[in-house]
Amino acid sequence: MSWRRIRVVMRRQAYVLWRAPHRWFDIAFWPLMDIILWGSLGTYIARTTTGSQAATPYLIAGIMLFHILFQSQIAVGTGFLEETWSRNLLNVLTTPVSEVEYVVGTAAFGLFKVMFALATLSVTAFGFFGFDLGSVGWSVVPISLILTVVGWGVGIACIGVVLRFGQGAEILMWGGNYILMALSGVFNPVDALPGVLQPLARVLPSTHAFNALRTVLAGKPLPADEIASGMTGAVVVLLLGFGFSTWMLRIFRKRGYVTRFS
Amino acid sequence: MRIDETATMGQHAGAVLVAHELRKTFKRVNAVRGISISVAPGERVGLLGPNGAGKTTTLLMLLGAILPDTGTVTIVGHRLPRHRSKAMEKVGFAAGYLPLPDRLKVREALGVFAGWYGVRNEKAAVAAALERFEIAQLSDRLCSALSSGQRTLVGIVKATLHNPSLLVLDEPTASLDPDVASRVRQGLLQFCSSTGAALLITSHDMREVDILTERVIFLANGQVVADDTPAAISALYGYDDLEGVFLQLADEARRT
Repeated sequence: MSWRRIRVVMRRQAYVLWRAPHRWFDIAFWPLMDIILWGSLGTYIARTTTGSQAATPYLIAGIMLFHILFQSQIAVGTGFLEETWSRNLLNVLTTPVSEVEYVVGTAAFGLFKVMFALATLSVTAFGFFGFDLGSVGWSVVPISLILTVVGWGVGIACIGVVLRFGQGAEILMWGGNYILMALSGVFNPVDALPGVLQPLARVLPSTHAFNALRTVLAGKPLPADEIASGMTGAVVVLLLGFGFSTWMLRIFRKRGYVTRFS
Repeated sequence: MRIDETATMGQHAGAVLVAHELRKTFKRVNAVRGISISVAPGERVGLLGPNGAGKTTTLLMLLGAILPDTGTVTIVGHRLPRHRSKAMEKVGFAAGYLPLPDRLKVREALGVFAGWYGVRNEKAAVAAALERFEIAQLSDRLCSALSSGQRTLVGIVKATLHNPSLLVLDEPTASLDPDVASRVRQGLLQFCSSTGAALLITSHDMREVDILTERVIFLANGQVVADDTPAAISALYGYDDLEGVFLQLADEARRT
């Protein structure tokens, strides 16, 4: 693995972000809108329902940390899709850059996008609703780490789907996040989900991360068991995503699908 | 014809490219049926054939972008696909149909490729490569704002940035006007002679093949049907130049 090639992958992603204003929507505009939406909803619930004063921090913290997963996933996913949109994939495949180097480079650049989005979310949440993510304390670090790794794993798996099924499968790159949002208990414990979905929700590492977040917001210590389960699951998701994508890339090369993107 | 020799040439130590018995079937179509190719250092080879002969599939297998069903590819001693990264450090590839990353300026895109190829001084390498093909004025243009001919030129520059041992070009001058195409040919000849790079090129322009190559491999129906110097192949088929050979092979391929 060449760190220099990884740095160049990051540079390539930086150029794209700089020259594509619509990409800033992902890291600035949508986070802003999400905070306004969920913060307002929390404020309304708190005003109208007795005993729901704590709704706003739960909703805002939930959407803020969900953005970590979302940004990590789309950074990897759209980093790759950029090569298909500009029909540059064959150029990349005929350079010495390996699959691992490419993914590591896009994931690492994704960290910058996560930071930027989090800054937007934090400023907006504090300015509009007086919520400070810092109130969660250092517990936010392991929770964020789980969500980042899950985002990478899902993003890498989505690349595999696009390699296998073509650009029509791009919808999963964004849609997959909403499946996770619904099933991971971002705003509510999983026992509020329909019973049939709860077993699935409980095995998701992101569910453990959001459980841990709610526990901390309730003023209790960070639950080590949730963090351990979440971290283990996140690593499994990452490995499964990479294994799946490697398998799909092999099929892509075997069946000559590169011509679809050239 | 030297069809049988091709496989044995593949055994030559020091060849920059050795492909042995490549076969590829897509669904039920036999696109490539046992092709063996060897290219020596500094050698300039044309890979010719009518549409559907298997040229692009063969090139993509040589570059590791498509996996052959059977057969092996070795580039400067590095076997594909296991040592793909090492092999690709020695190869430059450009195709007339291939765009560039469209949100980058020309110098930025070339800098990215130079970095991926491991070029030490990216800026100097990019400037020198642009100068070689007399397109330094395109340096600050966005790749998306280039004409198709300019894009092709920049693609060729990209392929030569890292002084590869093997330059693989798929119809590089197809979208260029005669004046620019001529400059490109001169640039390529100069590049190959000054760096010692080998050239493997596909083209439908037989005059270009005559100028650029010293050996020609004709493909038809996924097989090598002739492998020799342009003059020897023309004489073998009873023509004055490669144009007649090409037309005859294309006609035969259509009828089989």
